[in-house]
Amino acid sequence: MRRLGAALAVAAVALAAGCGSGGDGGDAASGGNGQPVRLRFLSLAWQKESIEANKQIVAEWNTANPKIQVEYVQGSWDNVNDQLVTSFEAGDPPDVIHDDSPALSSFASRGFLLDLTGKVPAGLKNDIPQAAWDTVTFSDGKSGQGVYGVPFLQESQVLIANKKLLDGAGVRLPTPDAPWTWDEFADVAKKLTKKGAYGVAWPMKSPVNKVLNLALNFGGTFFDTQNGKTTVKAGAQEREVLQRIHDQLYTDKSADPSALGMGTADPLPGFFAGKYAILPAGVYLRQQVAEQAPSGFEWVTLPPLKGVTSQQGAVSQTLSVAADSEHSDEALKFIAYFLNGPNQAKLAKGDWLLPTSTTAAKDPALTTEENGWDVATASAKDLVVAPFLKVNGYDEWKSKVATPAMQEYFADKISLDELATRLVEEGNKVLERYSR
Amino acid sequence: MTALAERPYGGSRGGPQGGSQGGSQGGRRSRGALALMLPALVPVLVFSVGPLLYGILLAFTDARSGRNTETSFVGLENFAELLSDGDFWESFRIGLVWGLSVTVLQFLASLGLALLLNQDLRLRGVARVLAVVPWAMPPVVIGLMWRLVYHPDAGLLNGLFGTRVDWLHDFSLALPAVIVVGVWTGMPQTTVVLLAGLQNVPKELYEAVSVDGAGAWRRFWNVTLPQLRPVIVAITSLDFVWNINQFSLVYVLTQGGPGGRTRLPMLFAYEEAFRYGFFGYAATLGVAITIVVLAVLGLYLWRQAREAD
Repeated sequence: MRRLGAALAVAAVALAAGCGSGGDGGDAASGGNGQPVRLRFLSLAWQKESIEANKQIVAEWNTANPKIQVEYVQGSWDNVNDQLVTSFEAGDPPDVIHDDSPALSSFASRGFLLDLTGKVPAGLKNDIPQAAWDTVTFSDGKSGQGVYGVPFLQESQVLIANKKLLDGAGVRLPTPDAPWTWDEFADVAKKLTKKGAYGVAWPMKSPVNKVLNLALNFGGTFFDTQNGKTTVKAGAQEREVLQRIHDQLYTDKSADPSALGMGTADPLPGFFAGKYAILPAGVYLRQQVAEQAPSGFEWVTLPPLKGVTSQQGAVSQTLSVAADSEHSDEALKFIAYFLNGPNQAKLAKGDWLLPTSTTAAKDPALTTEENGWDVATASAKDLVVAPFLKVNGYDEWKSKVATPAMQEYFADKISLDELATRLVEEGNKVLERYSR
Repeated sequence: MTALAERPYGGSRGGPQGGSQGGSQGGRRSRGALALMLPALVPVLVFSVGPLLYGILLAFTDARSGRNTETSFVGLENFAELLSDGDFWESFRIGLVWGLSVTVLQFLASLGLALLLNQDLRLRGVARVLAVVPWAMPPVVIGLMWRLVYHPDAGLLNGLFGTRVDWLHDFSLALPAVIVVGVWTGMPQTTVVLLAGLQNVPKELYEAVSVDGAGAWRRFWNVTLPQLRPVIVAITSLDFVWNINQFSLVYVLTQGGPGGRTRLPMLFAYEEAFRYGFFGYAATLGVAITIVVLAVLGLYLWRQAREAD
């Protein structure tokens, strides 16, 4: 029987898709007859402090708005895509959806998300800079453009370093105004490499977003859109960061090859033990460093590296409203409250990420020197829209083509030219499916 | 069926009409039989045949996920695309490596275990129960358990060998590591079936060859194996079908990673449908795999039947 499993599963979901639009909203009574409107809010918060902050804000809202009651639904980043695809297809999605901007593009083009253009209250709209709004502006799958979420938390790539080792090597400490260039970084990493200890550890279990975001340092965009048709490119600008990381691994030998298979947080035990002096990581990793560091361990957050520019691709976490939601106005009201300045400051602190809200960024707790908040918050100014956000089919390119190819390149199994050929040729084949 | 259906009618009918209008009675008879079968047929039609036909139909369309998509009939386009899809062939190759190696290893290990459990050992009852335990666990639980065994830092395996290998994320080790779990998972049913087969081998045969002076090996080769043959054919073909269509176990262990090295065909179909939203193409994959499995199985059973003659 199991040989029919896949066919059955696909059929079942497609059946549901066929009759889905008719059968939703059974329990969602309208506000007219005195019953409160009920909204479901799918949250992906996973750090303890962050879940607390989320639940606290929801509870405050529910107390203040007896007419609009929000139910907190816990989701997980691991399977949110599958969960959303099935609930969208079944016509019964959560009203308010927490996700991140790379995921929105494909949902938006399939018509699952509500276009928020002109619907976001002015206060919230003006509090978030246009650069952040750009990360959630996508094609609607036909001819137009729309805003498909409210961006609220952003991540930048910084360096987390062992202060004692840096001081011992006598290197210049970078500041947000005078960051290390990639050349300087390579020199420092070499200086910090001694017997049994490496200057840097590049955890590259999921290399693609990291490389693509950093590639903007040298103007590498990886995608080229002309006349509505997107193709992959891997020219000199795109290759720069790839080559430099590869050099650290195999030419300078200042990066530990055995860290390549690790996830972002996996090198921490080695970092605490002095085996790695510098960890390139997203700002959120500071939370684990602060929490797990042995007493007396001194660490600093260093600003992002500079290539031609310090620009990095920005990916935001977002709140969106489902197109099938029966209470989209109420959902927007809730989002406007959930993401106001003070609340964004709470959420940013809970997740150790950067708020998009300009009011929240001024919160003293987010500009203190403690735990590198000042450096992290300052790095937000160089965040620009990651070009891959707008690419339909990026997810498939990433998991089928780019991830295995980059992993093999960093493991020194294929050359840079081979990598570039694979990214482009196999990649274009993948993207073609989506432009039909 | 007709014999069964005739009895109630034959009893109640009788009288003057009896036997005079054979044709129309036959029609009424089968209609009556159909009415009686309907309650049993409806669930089969609704829950099994319907979705199956729908799935097959879907394979010939360009159905995609989305509110604003239009589905149209595309004929064999999906199949043509499938044939030229390198990822599909890679996944298919992995599926075959996985299906064959798990089935063969499972069979060998289970045969050994079944022979052991067939001996007159102490605590044989307990051992037999223990051998069946993995059967009682859902695949997801097995997957989670083995993920802990393979964990690079806290795993049992690295602790035992003092190594620091990331079994499930290493490009060359992931598939073998997953195959071991597959073998472990499928052993109970194979062992139980083989054990039942062993107990059906007539004792007289052993006595006869012992009289002829055959040792343990000859007894096994000339009596046990030929006697077990039908059971072996049945269980290995069933195992192969189960294994090549395995999904949940590998999904929990690796989700098809690293870099697609453990992406079995069913995982591939799942990704196409629920990650990238190509429902039509995923249905094509399901149909194609069904055809391939039927072909492989047909060939195997046909050869076995011919050799048995």
